[in-house]
Amino acid sequence: MVADAGMIAIGAGIAVGLAGIGAGMGEQAIGAAAVGAMAEDEKFFGKGLLMTVIPESIAIFGLVVALILLFVFNA
Amino acid sequence: MLKPTKMTRVMIAGTKDLVVPTISALHNLNVLHITDYSEETEHFKIGRPLKTASKLSEYLLSLRSISNQLGISEKESGIKKSTKELPSHIDEKITALQQDVSSRFDELRGIEFKIKEKEDLASSVKPFFGLPLSFEAYNGYETVKVYAGYIDANIESNLSRITKNYELFTGEYEKRKIFALFIPLVFADEVQKLLQDERSYVELKIPQLKGNPPVILDELEKEISALHEKHASIKSELENIKKEYSEFIIEADEYLSIETQKAEAPLRFATSPNAFIIDGWVPSRNFDEIETKLQESTGGLVYLTKIDEEVKEEDIPIELENPTLAKPFELLIDTFATPKYGEIDPASVLFITFPLFYAIMLGDVGYAIIVAAMAYIIKNKFKTGGLNALALILFLSSILSILFGFIYGEFFGFPIFNVVVHGELEHGLLGIAGPAIAGIHLPVHRFGEVQSLLLLTLVIGIIHILLGLVIGFRNHVIEHGLKHAIFAKGSWMMILIGGVMAIAKLMPAVMSKLPVPTNDPVFAVGGGLAIIGLILLIAGEGFISILEIPTLLSNVLSYSRILAIGLSSAGIALAVNTLSMNLFIKPGGVLMGKGVVLALVGVVILFIGHLINLLLGILGPGLHSLRLQYVEFFTKFYEGGGKKYVPFGYNRKYTEE
Repeated sequence: MVADAGMIAIGAGIAVGLAGIGAGMGEQAIGAAAVGAMAEDEKFFGKGLLMTVIPESIAIFGLVVALILLFVFNA
Repeated sequence: MLKPTKMTRVMIAGTKDLVVPTISALHNLNVLHITDYSEETEHFKIGRPLKTASKLSEYLLSLRSISNQLGISEKESGIKKSTKELPSHIDEKITALQQDVSSRFDELRGIEFKIKEKEDLASSVKPFFGLPLSFEAYNGYETVKVYAGYIDANIESNLSRITKNYELFTGEYEKRKIFALFIPLVFADEVQKLLQDERSYVELKIPQLKGNPPVILDELEKEISALHEKHASIKSELENIKKEYSEFIIEADEYLSIETQKAEAPLRFATSPNAFIIDGWVPSRNFDEIETKLQESTGGLVYLTKIDEEVKEEDIPIELENPTLAKPFELLIDTFATPKYGEIDPASVLFITFPLFYAIMLGDVGYAIIVAAMAYIIKNKFKTGGLNALALILFLSSILSILFGFIYGEFFGFPIFNVVVHGELEHGLLGIAGPAIAGIHLPVHRFGEVQSLLLLTLVIGIIHILLGLVIGFRNHVIEHGLKHAIFAKGSWMMILIGGVMAIAKLMPAVMSKLPVPTNDPVFAVGGGLAIIGLILLIAGEGFISILEIPTLLSNVLSYSRILAIGLSSAGIALAVNTLSMNLFIKPGGVLMGKGVVLALVGVVILFIGHLINLLLGILGPGLHSLRLQYVEFFTKFYEGGGKKYVPFGYNRKYTEE
């Protein structure tokens, strides 16, 4: 059971970590483009910020998987 | 609510001698959105601005330049002043003001230039303090060359190889060695080379002056300070001008802006040699008003009529219309896109869903109170504009968050009520168990109830997406007819509802390794519904649309962020609290049991941790709640592409007619 708990924790860590890297890769391109757009027109700030968080879904899916692992499977 | 203001298209026609009173009346009403006339024909041309236009815009230009130079900024508007007397003296006043201001600014620039010059001179005089000569000694030779500068090395031995006929003075200025060398002009080139080979040599320019360096410097400093005084006095004169005229400038600016707008209005009309025609839109409720006012001011000589001709929806100007509380949410609509005329305006829906999602995510009494206070302050500081709307949205959202904070029983991450989580008792701040409301025992602990909260967020998601599809269905019925609406939106509704029913029965069976529950009526009906939906979808949009089905699944799953964002915020708060509490309370419960230093470190961690979490707590829930609206909700029905209603007129702040 202890080993199971450990494997679950590692699994949760991998889920969050890899999802975070994926989201980061998505965000880097959007973020750079948004800063570029903002340099031309400051009014783009709101839209740019919003577009930058769109790939964050991926990180959140990872987080949800981790939560399910930790709280549902562990219980 | 839910629909943009109803608009009526009007056409106004009259003879050219009535153009001025017509423009005046329309401008005062501030309700007509003029459609610019752009195609010139044989009979109608784009109108020319009124004769006064060029003069007015010239005045406006000089006034704005004066106002820029004086640094006049907009102020809170007080009593509105009448502009009846303004036209009679605006001309001379602006001309006089411009002369006063620009002549003073020229003078200021002149003085600044002189000060710079004198200061440069003073700094070139200073090094000569180190040498025992007055400036007459350096200048005015015909056969002698003079060098002066800083140098560290002794050059006399090298110098004597060139000539013995020289005179060298040395001294010190600010701890650096300084020299002045006098030699016959014939050796100038050789000596120049000698000096330049010396690394420490820095040449000094010899000022063309007469007198002792200290005396000269003294004079220069006196002159500089006199110039500074003059500069300050001109500045204070300008300050006085600013004080005296700032009201006039602000009022005249508004007056001229209005008059220029009026004078340039004919550029948007169609005109023939003797007549003009204005094409535009008014909110239907204002039609009678515009009719009576226009007839009053032109003696009934202008012709005004409604036009019922079919136009493209994109050409109708949009004014959003919502109850006061939902009004700020129009900002979120405008940020996305202005709706088309026939479309639903979802601001009132956002009024409910945006704060709800935000509150479920933030859900902490302590953070919510701080956010509410901040939003309240910003709301009162900025009375209009985007920031005001944003603050109002944040205020409403954080008030709801306080409620959810009580439901979750969280105060800066500390439990409010006693609660049993995963078999362990957590002591709450109040020291009592939570009340039970409508059969639910508070608090609903976020870490304890992950599974059921996750399910709840998905249910919220399904309802939200269904609502989006229903609105989309309605928009499609109006724009393309019922059949098209069933293919495009009804099919998706069936797939969503049927899919949810089927999966709800299928998942538990699969999890406990039972066979597929084909006998279950819910599973059968759900599956059937989903298949019918799929067939309709393929019939309406082709096979390619199957590719979009996973999007629906990811849309629903996306709502799990409502739980995830909240849990990560609660998790950070919990971590900060645990960390800092361990530092200033010993496990036995003794305050500062680990020493003062660690206790202070604990306080710093507590403060900075919660500050960061608070900032994340505004940004995260705000952006993600908005994202759920824009990406998951709006894509189901919203097209946008309308143009904003901009009435011809002016919102006067400082003047009245």
